[in-house]
Amino acid sequence: MKFSKILSIAWESLTQRKLRTSLTTLGVVIGITAIISLASLGEGFRLEIKERMQQGFELDVLIVIPGSFAAALREPFTSPEVNNIRNVTGVKLVAPLITLPQADLYNETNEKVNALTVAAVNFSEITQMLSERFVPMEGKIPGPEENDTIVLGYKTCFWNETTPLVRVGDNITMQIEGYSINKTLRVAAILGKSGTSGITNFDYWAFIPADTATQLMRREVYNIILVKVSDPEQSEHVANAIEDVFENPYSISILVPIAFMRQVDRILNLVQIFLVAIASISLLVAGIGIMNIMTVSVMERTREIGILKAIGAKSRTVLAMFLTEAVLVGIVGGLIGIITGYGLSYALAYVLSSFIQPQQQDTVFQAPETQRMTLNPVFSPEWTIIAFVFAIIVCIIFGLYPARKAAKLDPVEALRYE
Amino acid sequence: MATFLEVRDVKKSYRMGKFLVPALRGVSFDVETGEFLSIFGPSGSGKSTLLHLMGGLDRPDEGEIIVDGSNILKLNDDKLAELRLIKIGFVFQFFNLLPRLTALRNVELPLTIAGVPEKESLKRAEKMLRLVGLEDRMNHRPSELSGGEQQRVAIARALISNPKIVLGDEPTGNLDTKTGWEIVQLMKKLNEEKKQTFVVVTHDPHIAEAANRIVHLKDGLIAGIEEAPKGR
Repeated sequence: MKFSKILSIAWESLTQRKLRTSLTTLGVVIGITAIISLASLGEGFRLEIKERMQQGFELDVLIVIPGSFAAALREPFTSPEVNNIRNVTGVKLVAPLITLPQADLYNETNEKVNALTVAAVNFSEITQMLSERFVPMEGKIPGPEENDTIVLGYKTCFWNETTPLVRVGDNITMQIEGYSINKTLRVAAILGKSGTSGITNFDYWAFIPADTATQLMRREVYNIILVKVSDPEQSEHVANAIEDVFENPYSISILVPIAFMRQVDRILNLVQIFLVAIASISLLVAGIGIMNIMTVSVMERTREIGILKAIGAKSRTVLAMFLTEAVLVGIVGGLIGIITGYGLSYALAYVLSSFIQPQQQDTVFQAPETQRMTLNPVFSPEWTIIAFVFAIIVCIIFGLYPARKAAKLDPVEALRYE
Repeated sequence: MATFLEVRDVKKSYRMGKFLVPALRGVSFDVETGEFLSIFGPSGSGKSTLLHLMGGLDRPDEGEIIVDGSNILKLNDDKLAELRLIKIGFVFQFFNLLPRLTALRNVELPLTIAGVPEKESLKRAEKMLRLVGLEDRMNHRPSELSGGEQQRVAIARALISNPKIVLGDEPTGNLDTKTGWEIVQLMKKLNEEKKQTFVVVTHDPHIAEAANRIVHLKDGLIAGIEEAPKGR
């Protein structure tokens, strides 16, 4: 028999039992809807998290700090060590930082300026290193000869968002506990709002030239080294190469943001697969529904099958007729399910996005500006195709048993069936 | 006359629960090309079983059935289906039409299975329905037709592929005497006009009367073969 004819017979047979067919199809629709909506929401959530992490980290910047969990704290880095890192292949740029955590800053009216950390840097290096973030809102980043200057993070200057504690051109007094240092610095620039909650959020930091710090402290050691790699994908290799620079590689820690991000991405991917797997259970239930209905249908049509075989239909023609019915249910259910799945994704995204907003907490450690979380479903053609094919496969698997049962019917017995 | 179908020492039993019930216990006879043969016997004599075996719907336990040169024991299920499709036409006691299809579509069905294009198959089905006198009933479903009309549709379906042999399993068994007689006359007419071989199983003496030869079957054995007088 021609396939087009089998198809039209199967279609006719389905449309003649409308209620039964639509209920069977509904099972598939629900299964596919669940898969599509969970997959697309999972994908959307994953991409949102990924994007936020990219905003929070410079993905091409490694952060090297002395000490590690494996070894005890070690001395800060020396200049030769920094220079060794500069020579590692894959390293594009190195910016060592000296942190002066004991430093207190006071403005001209002797109010305390709340910088959590005062760091000494080479301004030209750090500007290149964090070109997108280390940008002044007011003033100008000091040049190499401009010592005794200070650059303030946004929040150190605008504590309550209204009146600035300091302006560009003002003088700031820096006192360092235990060193009896009392130094006056000129405010050269105020940095713009960093906006995100990553490691390189400098809103609560203040920066002074490295030369000024080494003069004051009378030694040249660095607490943090920022390393920019030429290719972020090679971050791990570069990190390993940097570890090898040191006599005891376990005495330092290197933060590799891209590795961290990959790990989070991997976890979210697993979560997404897990969600889809749960949704797939409903499709299996739909498959059992198909098997159930088709078995009944084969019994009802036993005589019809007997007639077809008696007048010369081959077993495989009968098999094809019933299997085609199952596949049609899968195709129609799958297509409707994809559409309703898209619809449900948007509805769920709308409802859920009001529940997942981050709580605003008033501690200084909390990111000052937490963006609204947006949850948009992302429809990947892969997931759509996978879901659709899965629906058809389920229908074939569960339709096969009743279809084989029909095909194997003995014509004489089938004709005798009442 | 050439032999079209040979039945050689055929035995067939059915399992009824624990027991094996013999239906045919060694039956042999030939069917000649173009003849109208009747297999006559009381119910339970094994005549329907014999017809099913002759039509390739079932296989004998022992013995051979050779249809137009091919031994049905040696054919696989697909080949057997092909044989039924091309060379054999069936007419049943309970008509066995598909209730969902119109008379026209029922008649067309064997051609559809054979993969004949719809345009041609519909034309042939129409012609065949006209031949059995149902030109104004083509688009009726079986439930809208009388018993005699349904059997005419079934005969048209049996003849649509132009088979060499038509097997009737009590074709008049479910019809009143008058309608039954008309159906017998129709079959006889087709047998004479189209030179198709007819084998009709019956316990109706009227049908038996129309046949060229009557095979009497009793308790799974041939009780006798009766030649009809010439000229009938």
